[in-house]
Amino acid sequence: MVAGAVAALTPRSVGASTAPQPKVSDTPNDWGTCLTITWTPAPAADSVSGYEIWRATAEGSGAAPEPMPSQGWEKIKQVAATDTSLVDSGLRHGQRYAYTVVAIAPGGRAASSPTQPLAPKRQWIIRDRVNILISVLAFVLTVLALVEWARRGAKLFIRRIAGLEAVEEAVGRATEMGRPILYVPGLDPMDEVATVAAVDILGQVAKKAGEYETKLVVPNRDPIVMAVAQQVVRESYSAVGKPHLYREENIFYVTYSQFGFAAAVAGIMLRERPAANFFIGHFYAEALVLAETGNTTGAIQIAGTDSDAQLPFFITSCDYTLIGEELYAGAVYLSRQPLMLGALKSQDYAKVLLIAAMIGGVVLSAVNPELALKIRAFFR
Amino acid sequence: MAFYDRMMSIDRRIIFLSIGLAVALPVIWPLGIPVQVSEESRSFYREIEKLKEGDVILLSIDYEGDVMAEVDPMSVAVMKHAFSKNLKVVALTTYAGGTGIAERILNEAARNYGKTYGEDYAFLGYNPDWSGTILRLGESFRATYPTDQHGRVTGEIPLMKRVETYRDISLIVSISGSGLSEYWAIWAGGRYGVKVISGNTAIQAILIYPYYQAHQILGFLGGLKGAAEYEVLIKQPALATKGMDAQSAAHGLMVVFIIVGNVGFFLARRAHRRARAQGENA
Amino acid sequence: MLIQFFTPNPLFLNIYNVFLDWKQVVLGFTYILGTWSLIRYHTRKIQRKQENWQYSYVALTGLVMTVGAAAIWKTATGPYPWLFDYVQVPMQSTMFSLLAFFVASASYRAFRARTLHATLLLVAGCIVMLGRVPIGSYIAGDIFGVHISLVEISDWILNVPNLAAKRGIMIGVGLGMTATAIKIVLGIEQTYLGKTD
Repeated sequence: MVAGAVAALTPRSVGASTAPQPKVSDTPNDWGTCLTITWTPAPAADSVSGYEIWRATAEGSGAAPEPMPSQGWEKIKQVAATDTSLVDSGLRHGQRYAYTVVAIAPGGRAASSPTQPLAPKRQWIIRDRVNILISVLAFVLTVLALVEWARRGAKLFIRRIAGLEAVEEAVGRATEMGRPILYVPGLDPMDEVATVAAVDILGQVAKKAGEYETKLVVPNRDPIVMAVAQQVVRESYSAVGKPHLYREENIFYVTYSQFGFAAAVAGIMLRERPAANFFIGHFYAEALVLAETGNTTGAIQIAGTDSDAQLPFFITSCDYTLIGEELYAGAVYLSRQPLMLGALKSQDYAKVLLIAAMIGGVVLSAVNPELALKIRAFFR
Repeated sequence: MAFYDRMMSIDRRIIFLSIGLAVALPVIWPLGIPVQVSEESRSFYREIEKLKEGDVILLSIDYEGDVMAEVDPMSVAVMKHAFSKNLKVVALTTYAGGTGIAERILNEAARNYGKTYGEDYAFLGYNPDWSGTILRLGESFRATYPTDQHGRVTGEIPLMKRVETYRDISLIVSISGSGLSEYWAIWAGGRYGVKVISGNTAIQAILIYPYYQAHQILGFLGGLKGAAEYEVLIKQPALATKGMDAQSAAHGLMVVFIIVGNVGFFLARRAHRRARAQGENA
Repeated sequence: MLIQFFTPNPLFLNIYNVFLDWKQVVLGFTYILGTWSLIRYHTRKIQRKQENWQYSYVALTGLVMTVGAAAIWKTATGPYPWLFDYVQVPMQSTMFSLLAFFVASASYRAFRARTLHATLLLVAGCIVMLGRVPIGSYIAGDIFGVHISLVEISDWILNVPNLAAKRGIMIGVGLGMTATAIKIVLGIEQTYLGKTD
């Protein structure tokens, strides 16, 4: 196949300057499997309609492959006349490759001489991501420092969060009315941070429900979340000395279907009439269905989500709403564990740094735009 | 009950019935309000329009039957646009219910444009691990989907022989009813540098604006209106365009209800203030 | 997993790919776990004749019918696509369409100009609601010689204040996610293991 194609390719010069002069270089920030071929475009007078890029492997560290139309060349791509570069991917690291670029014109084809063979190189670090690495390291150090500070007994301030202050009130209301508490830990699986936070808060709510001996119903969309929720609630009841109140059938899996789940939970709200509804976690479009249905039953509703698309619906339909990262602060706020408190405070310090950087960037852009651009280019 | 109190407490059944009529009647008797195209939809259209014959797009059907009414017209229009330009389409879905939807859309478009499975398009099927799928496709399509939806070995499909990683894809089109488009932009676009455009429900579209402004998503369709705008651009008005009258009527009616409620609120507040003032003077 | 993001070393990449493969395997098994939990919940409900136990028969019958149809006639033909097109999709679409009604009743109830913030929310909501439908394109006029259209105001609201708020929440959520992930890696956070303290 290759021989036939090559045989048809008798290079004829269609213009002295038509044959492209390609250069090959290592593609940066790849996985050591790419090379970049660049060439100068032919003059417009030659009416080149496109380019073919051919590749051959060079054995060991020996000489370059023979120029086309000899054997060993493989056509890898045909590109438009306006293209002047190509990234050849999927190569073997350490293997040397040579390239030839063939210009196609009405008068014929013109092949370049082969490039010097080159092997793709692997960089130690992806240069484009250094800015992310610096930011992540800085944040991790902040978290570690604050956690250590908290471990040594430092008093860390958290502002009052109305939705979390109302948890006790909601559980108390359900106890007085003799009706259950409904807790929906969101629709995301266990590997999502919002669900981890939701299950955290569930543990604290379950402790209060256990203390007051109030029924706690937890429908789940994900079976793993259900398993974790069961474990957390069981431990919570044990922690307050009421392990006998734990009922596994109250923490159950419903369905993975989003609106099937919403329909099931809406049905539970209308039939069992819980006095307190908790919608804590990551929600999607069903958020409004849940919140509005709960609103019609007259329950006190506390919502918390990091899903900003659903926040407006919760805010209009619920009594209290935890916005964004207030959800992650939830369990820490309720338990006041020093180590978790330290990690929570680190977010505040990181935000202060970010705000300072933003203000600094704006001021620097006005005072010294060139320096600002250089710093911006580094952090891109 | 005073009339202003009635204005503030309209029975929700009346609201539900009115909305139902506002949506249903324009479908039966269309109003014919023309659709103006937004810049976001134009950008979406441009990204597909500038592809060349033979370029491969990855179409991710990231939705199920619930949001089908809103985003399905986008997928249908994308297939019409792609096949009319003789682009190659590799489709997949990250939702179990998306397989039936994807099959229907692909097969219908193939029938209308005379395309062949395996040569012009392929459907890789459903993978439950959406995050792993988006990341893994950057390393190997064949490892992520060893077989296609119909059980055929991926490496033996003619189209898939030239598609191994994201580098072989010219454009990712994510039609999503959830936030998956953002992950395509962050993981596929950000990590592997492939271009991403998206079609989203109206509520999700609001979240796409930061990515669009930052050029991480190069164009997007927002809700049924976005789908209608795209249909206008490809000059094939269909379901989305028909739905615009109903949507206009429903939104207009909601605003009317809000105004009625607020008028009642202000009148009630004025009446209560007057009554309080009279009580104080007495 | 974290290291492979920054260094193109094949060792870390291979470990990363192995984890991704295992993630898929584990995910597959969770569906078995979920199905088992569903069957156990409903059979217990039937055995103990708990409230509305009759509906559990409906749930289990639906499960058996759908799985049976896919196993016997496969998913491309037969009753399975019919069940999908004429049972599953209409039910899902119906539930989603409830949002239209709930949005109307929630907007009517919540959008009252009680305070300055509530008034701003109300005005912005109305402008965006009308600006996002074709009828909004025709609500335009000249004020003090300046041409103003509802669509332009709606686009401004979405592109400026909405975007600013969204970015602020995104940054906060991103920091929160990173902090929680660090807590999990350091062992400070153990809720996912079922521990509460």
